[in-house]
Amino acid sequence: MSDAEIFVIVPLYNEAAVVRETVMPLLKAGYTVVVVDDGSSDGSSKALEGLRLVLLRHAVNLGQGAALETGMTYARRRGAKAVVHFDADGQHDGAQIAEFLGPIRRGETDVVLGSRFLRREDAARTPWLRRVVLHGGIVVSGLFTGMWLTDTHNGFRVLSEKALAEIRLRENGFSHATEILGEIRRRKLRYVEMPAAIRYGAYAKAKGQPFWNSFNILIDLVMEKLFR
Amino acid sequence: MIPIQPILVVLLLSSVGLYFAKFRSKVWDRAIVVSLFAAATLFIMQPELANRLAAVAGVGRGADLFFYITIPGLGFVLLLVLSRIRKLEQQWTQVVRELALVRAEISAGERR
Repeated sequence: MSDAEIFVIVPLYNEAAVVRETVMPLLKAGYTVVVVDDGSSDGSSKALEGLRLVLLRHAVNLGQGAALETGMTYARRRGAKAVVHFDADGQHDGAQIAEFLGPIRRGETDVVLGSRFLRREDAARTPWLRRVVLHGGIVVSGLFTGMWLTDTHNGFRVLSEKALAEIRLRENGFSHATEILGEIRRRKLRYVEMPAAIRYGAYAKAKGQPFWNSFNILIDLVMEKLFR
Repeated sequence: MIPIQPILVVLLLSSVGLYFAKFRSKVWDRAIVVSLFAAATLFIMQPELANRLAAVAGVGRGADLFFYITIPGLGFVLLLVLSRIRKLEQQWTQVVRELALVRAEISAGERR
């Protein structure tokens, strides 16, 4: 599996200030970078001009789950051997991708899920309110999917070719994180959690997801159960 | 016949006419709408029938029986509408996704 066969999917929505800085190390590492601009209105796509990456643009804002599925559809059609989900806001460390790919390359697992609660130092960096919300998310995801993980809403994960072929995201919003877990269980895919350091800089703290978004996620999950 | 009866029947008939004129729907949906219209007209014209049914159900008045039936009925309609919205959202997403992928293909072709 060459680095070019690994597609890093970056869902992008109004991150013009940081997205270029986020993708540069990924390009330098030799991965195929697929940025999915989910209807940004701040000129995020313009910030990527001149870079050798794949830019897919949603005509309207659909949500992070939809953006990831668009990137995954592209990767499937282009014969990707693995895909990496990577947030555009610069919270993740691109250098960790190689580490996450290890178990996939060795054929030990189908999905690697990032967790900010496996190492004490990573957990300590997480602001307390976010910690509370994320732990609520862990309980909700556990109840909905039967999978009890340490961090269910971490945007950093790697899917093998097999997982990429089997997992199709139908949830457009942030509830895709729980949907992925449900799919892993339903399709009996092997998974492992690995520590993922999250950088909570001033930018990330200022942007973050509003607290009430958790309520939206819960509603989406109930709807998904009712109408799947 | 009391004055409210023809008024209600005309209003009902107008609603059904509007439904058939404005919405494309399946045969089953149309059959349900026509059956509901027929039942509603019957109960408007024969209010005693509703009272007798209410007595059988142990509810008291016919108006109370309709009130109790309306609550789960509206819940059911709400779920149907939500389900429809979700389906439309999925179709819409598919269109936006394919457009993004086709646009990328075209611009990649232009660069070559």
